[in-house]
Amino acid sequence: MSRRIAIVEDEPAIRENYADVLRKQGYEVVAFAKRADALAAFGTRLPDLALIDIGLADDIDGGFALCRELRALSATVPIIFLSARDSDFDIVSGLRLGADDYLTKDISLPHLVARIAALFRRSDLLAVPQASEDILERGQLILDLKRLAARWGGRRVELTLTEFWMVHALAKFPGHVKDRDALMRDARIVVDDSTITSHIKRIRKKFVALDPAFNCITTVYGMGYRWNAEE
Amino acid sequence: MNRFRIALGIRAQLLLVLTVFLAIPWLGYEYVRELERFLREAQERTLAGTAQAVATALHDRPRLFEAQPAPLDSLATERRVDDGSGTVVRALELSPAPLTAASPDIAQIIHGLSRTTARIWVVDRDQNVLARAGSLKRPESLPNDGSESGFSRVRHWLEREMLQPVYARVLTQPTEDFSDERAGRTVALGKDVEGALSGILTIARRPTADGRALIVAAAHPIWVGDEVRGAVIVEETTNVVLAERNRAFARLFNIVLAALLIGSVALTLYASRLSARIRRLRDEAEAAIDAHGRVRGVVAGSRAGDEIGDLSRSFSSVLARLSHYASYQENMASRLSHELRTPVAVVRSSLDNLRLSPLPEDARVYIERAQQGLNRLTHILTRMTEATRLEQSLNDAERQRFDLAKVIAGCVDGYRIAYPQHALELTLPDAEVMVEGAPELIAQMLDKLVANAVEFGVLGSPIRIRLQRNELNIEISVENQGPPLPDEMRGRLFDSMVSLRSAQEGDEPHLGLGLYIVRLIAEFHGGRAFARNRDDERGAIVAIILPHAD
Repeated sequence: MSRRIAIVEDEPAIRENYADVLRKQGYEVVAFAKRADALAAFGTRLPDLALIDIGLADDIDGGFALCRELRALSATVPIIFLSARDSDFDIVSGLRLGADDYLTKDISLPHLVARIAALFRRSDLLAVPQASEDILERGQLILDLKRLAARWGGRRVELTLTEFWMVHALAKFPGHVKDRDALMRDARIVVDDSTITSHIKRIRKKFVALDPAFNCITTVYGMGYRWNAEE
Repeated sequence: MNRFRIALGIRAQLLLVLTVFLAIPWLGYEYVRELERFLREAQERTLAGTAQAVATALHDRPRLFEAQPAPLDSLATERRVDDGSGTVVRALELSPAPLTAASPDIAQIIHGLSRTTARIWVVDRDQNVLARAGSLKRPESLPNDGSESGFSRVRHWLEREMLQPVYARVLTQPTEDFSDERAGRTVALGKDVEGALSGILTIARRPTADGRALIVAAAHPIWVGDEVRGAVIVEETTNVVLAERNRAFARLFNIVLAALLIGSVALTLYASRLSARIRRLRDEAEAAIDAHGRVRGVVAGSRAGDEIGDLSRSFSSVLARLSHYASYQENMASRLSHELRTPVAVVRSSLDNLRLSPLPEDARVYIERAQQGLNRLTHILTRMTEATRLEQSLNDAERQRFDLAKVIAGCVDGYRIAYPQHALELTLPDAEVMVEGAPELIAQMLDKLVANAVEFGVLGSPIRIRLQRNELNIEISVENQGPPLPDEMRGRLFDSMVSLRSAQEGDEPHLGLGLYIVRLIAEFHGGRAFARNRDDERGAIVAIILPHAD
């Protein structure tokens, strides 16, 4: 059974381009221009993954509302925001509403496809016991590369896909400085420096929320970031 | 522009205009002189009338003149000299008498007609004085003070002490202290007497011998039948007129002076208020725009209904529009990039789709080129939003205390890798330099400063980065060898969308946002940024002044 992806996007050219590339990957794609149409369809049948634009024609925050409504229908369906808006405020709002990732439209289609595949893998493998070779362990940090799940001291850290890949890139080689370009490459996003900074800040906060003593990500000013091995 | 223009405030200008009213006292003076002329004429007419009335009483009463006049010298010390050619009486050292009469009947008649300030003489044909009544001198009236209220006492004091001396200078003061040489004579001489004796009503004016008073005399003939038997002379000093004139003048002048005084005070107060309001408006307008021409605040429009209120309100609306425009301009880059994102996404996703399709080999070249162009476009868009994103992130940036020296040292290590062709010379103080703020923003600021220095620096020349700990503040400076800054740009370098770079082919877009970001970060840390030329004019220095932590 092929997976069904819902695209909610008001710009027809982008909508069709995304739909085309996803169909080529073997997904079944349903595309909507309006929030009401999408919601009506979701009520009949839930998609396996939803790709939602925030501004939908005249409804400037329609994507946020749709995300909330979809989350109410299903707690598990992966949701990705894909928007031209890239302010911290929008990103934080989107992720708080329960989206799994927030991407700007700068992303290339191969990267988008890779993310979608990764999210499907994560939702598929949540129940399956893990194989040890896909586990990265750094002190209290355990990264499950198959499920794209992170744990700290045995407790789950809720990271978005982008954040997970960043943590992975840093923790893979502790002590090595990863510059912003390398982080962008590993997280498969194209953003400016300050967005990387705010991503790192968010990751730190999520770890500190679990463990106030968390101090593993160091800023190396002018160069990038480093994962410190715990003492 | 006139270089020698005199700067006069509104107050001074209004007072200058007020000097026009100084013509009023002059007009008053002219008016009073006219009044004096009238009074004199009236006096003359009155005297003539009196003379005529007295003469009428004596007309055709030859008996009065027939009684040979008893010599008037009953009081002795008088000599009569008869030289044969008419009777000439020379009166010598006579003590003045209020009523002297050689002819008691006449004296009785004129006594009833005499007035207090006039003297009436009756002479016979030979100019011998037959009778005399009244005196030229009035008793000096004493100024009465006693029942005066406080205000009028002040007014009188002012008049007496300040104004009267001035008036006395301008106007002749009547005085009762004059020599009245005709007083005791038994023979009346003068044009008036001669005129009247020849049968004509004559009015003459003569000064006293000492010149202190002017005497007006009217002489009227006394007829008996067709024959002039004598004359009536009525004399009076002009003192009454002078006193009347002086009083009118003083009164007028006092009123004008008071009006002028009140007017000037009122105008001065009004002008002060006016200029204070204008000054306040000016200060507000100046404070509303900072040295960079940015609108800092908007003038609160005054509610006053006059022109200054209008001016204030239009200032307020102009500034509001200016600040809208400024914020429009500053947000333009961000909004533009936002608007451009969607079409760029269309192109990008189309290219990506194209790449995934089977294509002839030569088509791939074009896809690659299109992709390169798109990447540059994306880069430009990212840079355009950087400043706006920074402004947003400044709002919720967390402040912490950190060692600036450590951050700068770390950054410079990074730049040594990034710019291997430039020698970076770093000077740090020995001790740590604590500041309060966001280290990642300082790093971002330093990125911009060094990138700028590298771009403008002569290839291979050193770039000096210096951190100085001064007593009052901390200074970070980045110096490069290269072309000096043009003077006209120095104030605007740190504004949004201002760039020194000439449009040239290159792979980095120049939006003029780098130093704007530097300024935003410096201001976030409570500091400021400025640029200057090196002393030898062969390079530029951009410096940031930051305050110490606490």
